Amino acid sequence: MTEFLQSLPVYIALLAALLNLVRRQWTLNLIALVVQFACLFPMLLKILPLQLALIQPFTGLMVTLILYLTLLGVGGIKAINLLFSLTSGEIFRGLAGIFLLAILGTFLPQFQQAVFPLVPSNHLFLSIGLVLIGLTQLGTISEPFYLAIGMLTFLSGIELLYSALEYSFLLEALLVAVNLLLAIVGAFFIVKNAESESA
Amino acid sequence: MNNTVIIWIVLPALLGLALVLIQRQTKLSAVLGSLIPFVLTVLAVVFSKGLTLLVLGRYFILVDSLVIFGRTIQITADQLGIIALLYFLCFAWNLLSGLFKVGHWFNSLSLIITALWVSVQFINPFLYSAVVIELIALVSVPLLSPRGTPARSGVIRFLSMQTLAMPLILISGWMVSGIETSPSAEAIILRGSLLVIAGFSLWAGIFPIHSWLPMLTEESHPWIISFLQTIMQISLAIFFLKFLNQYAWLRNLEEIKLVLKWIGALCIISAGTMVVFQKKLSRILGYLYLSGTGYIVLSMAFQQQGWLDVLSLYLLPCVFAYWSLGYALSLLREALGSEQIDFSELSGLIWRYPLISVLLLCSLLNIIGMPLFSLFPSHRIIWSILASESLTIRLLISIGLLGMITMVLRVLGMMVQPPEVTDQDKKEKPVFIVPVVLIVLLMVLSGLFPQIFSAPIQSLLISFQNLLL
Repeated sequence: MTEFLQSLPVYIALLAALLNLVRRQWTLNLIALVVQFACLFPMLLKILPLQLALIQPFTGLMVTLILYLTLLGVGGIKAINLLFSLTSGEIFRGLAGIFLLAILGTFLPQFQQAVFPLVPSNHLFLSIGLVLIGLTQLGTISEPFYLAIGMLTFLSGIELLYSALEYSFLLEALLVAVNLLLAIVGAFFIVKNAESESA
Repeated sequence: MNNTVIIWIVLPALLGLALVLIQRQTKLSAVLGSLIPFVLTVLAVVFSKGLTLLVLGRYFILVDSLVIFGRTIQITADQLGIIALLYFLCFAWNLLSGLFKVGHWFNSLSLIITALWVSVQFINPFLYSAVVIELIALVSVPLLSPRGTPARSGVIRFLSMQTLAMPLILISGWMVSGIETSPSAEAIILRGSLLVIAGFSLWAGIFPIHSWLPMLTEESHPWIISFLQTIMQISLAIFFLKFLNQYAWLRNLEEIKLVLKWIGALCIISAGTMVVFQKKLSRILGYLYLSGTGYIVLSMAFQQQGWLDVLSLYLLPCVFAYWSLGYALSLLREALGSEQIDFSELSGLIWRYPLISVLLLCSLLNIIGMPLFSLFPSHRIIWSILASESLTIRLLISIGLLGMITMVLRVLGMMVQPPEVTDQDKKEKPVFIVPVVLIVLLMVLSGLFPQIFSAPIQSLLISFQNLLL
């Protein structure tokens, strides 16, 4: 039971990332992004002091806020429609994501032993899982908002992995800057697309 | 203020931010955008002999390091040559930016981008520079994708590739840390090398992951993209030298030389073959960058006596070649009112715009390394080194060169055709004769007397002590 509870943030974060990969509904995606970033906190807390473990989730929240305000500005925030049927594209993306996670889960022990022996398996599963889902997101859509989410998911996986390998204040500061700039670039693209659509 | 890091990284970045505030005043912004990098270039040249300077009986002594977040950034006197080259590049592009519609952001962001590229060369541990390169890609977005147009696929693909490259370099650094003390770790060396090569391939747009390069040159203004790509190509080349200089295991790996030779050859042949089939001059620019990357990689593959001199000899003429081509394409874009400059629009160009046509032709001949032009001496050295190489590599490079020559002949063929439409209102300004003649003259003179360009940068790469054979 304790083991399950400890693994819970991993599954919730991956589920949120999968939801972002599958469903294209801006409000829902923003909530999923918040959940994804918030679930990084318990994982980071296992290897870092509280103040440092807060940095990445807090940056994630700031990033989501930037995207939310931008979407609000262009009229993209609408009520969540929970009664929907899945399209073939959504089913494909969902299955692709689950397949990737299943493959990762299968080969994780060998991968961990060969490449990252010092990283806890839950930590490694979440970080590589986020990287894979982020990459799939980047490869399946060209809409700026989802590209921003894909890049943020990919980067959060990398940051999580790297925090278990070594920690540097300079690197953390640079990565925070990258995340914030990425959100601003995402917002820039959203506004540009909205402007050219209305023109 | 008496710190090299503050003078050449922090201050220009802050001044770049300050220029954002006055970007609407385009003339002032352009003047300051040219003046600041010029002053920084001059200062870098002056202090490159030593960090102490005696002026009017007063000593100016610069401190060479700064601690940020517990990490040291150090810029010593012998590294100032690299800084001078990067700021000179920024100056050269800002100087003429006022002539073209490059947007309000160019002067400020070009200065910030240059400061960031300088920081890439000097952050310690240098692997963290990978994150700064990602920052540069993000800062470049307003230049590559101006407002009023939707986000196009080239810039999105460029961003994705730069983002994917960053973790590869970061993880390679962690993976091979301490490898110097355990020389038997062959598997780790191989993994580390693969990660480094993959990371640089994504950054530079090496064949076959180069698709974003012609897309980006097609979507952006030639003056902007030529600046961004030139500074990126030069800075990445210097950054790769840093890897070779720092990591003995990478430098001494026999396979790395073979891999570099093949990467270089494949870039040159792919650029040469694909450029023949292009219908837009803007896309051709992308393939010329691919070919240029190929030559830089090739010059790094032959680590023989004096190979760093060959690379030094290549860098400044290369900057000049891209600058003149960017200038020619920008003039053409403004003259024709065409964003992508289709081949059909070149019909009869030499009758309508003779000066721009001459500049374009000379720039193309220069950039592909034809005799009499400034890039020929360094290309000739690379070709002569290749004479002892395998037939396959020689053949690949010859085909690539042949493709480039065919492309120039196609451009020439279109230009000399009788014009289909004669628009009497659109005439070339006679004032162009001065810069065009000066540029072509400099191209030819530096081809005949290569020391014009090689003398100022002779000690450019002197800080790479481990690579000086």
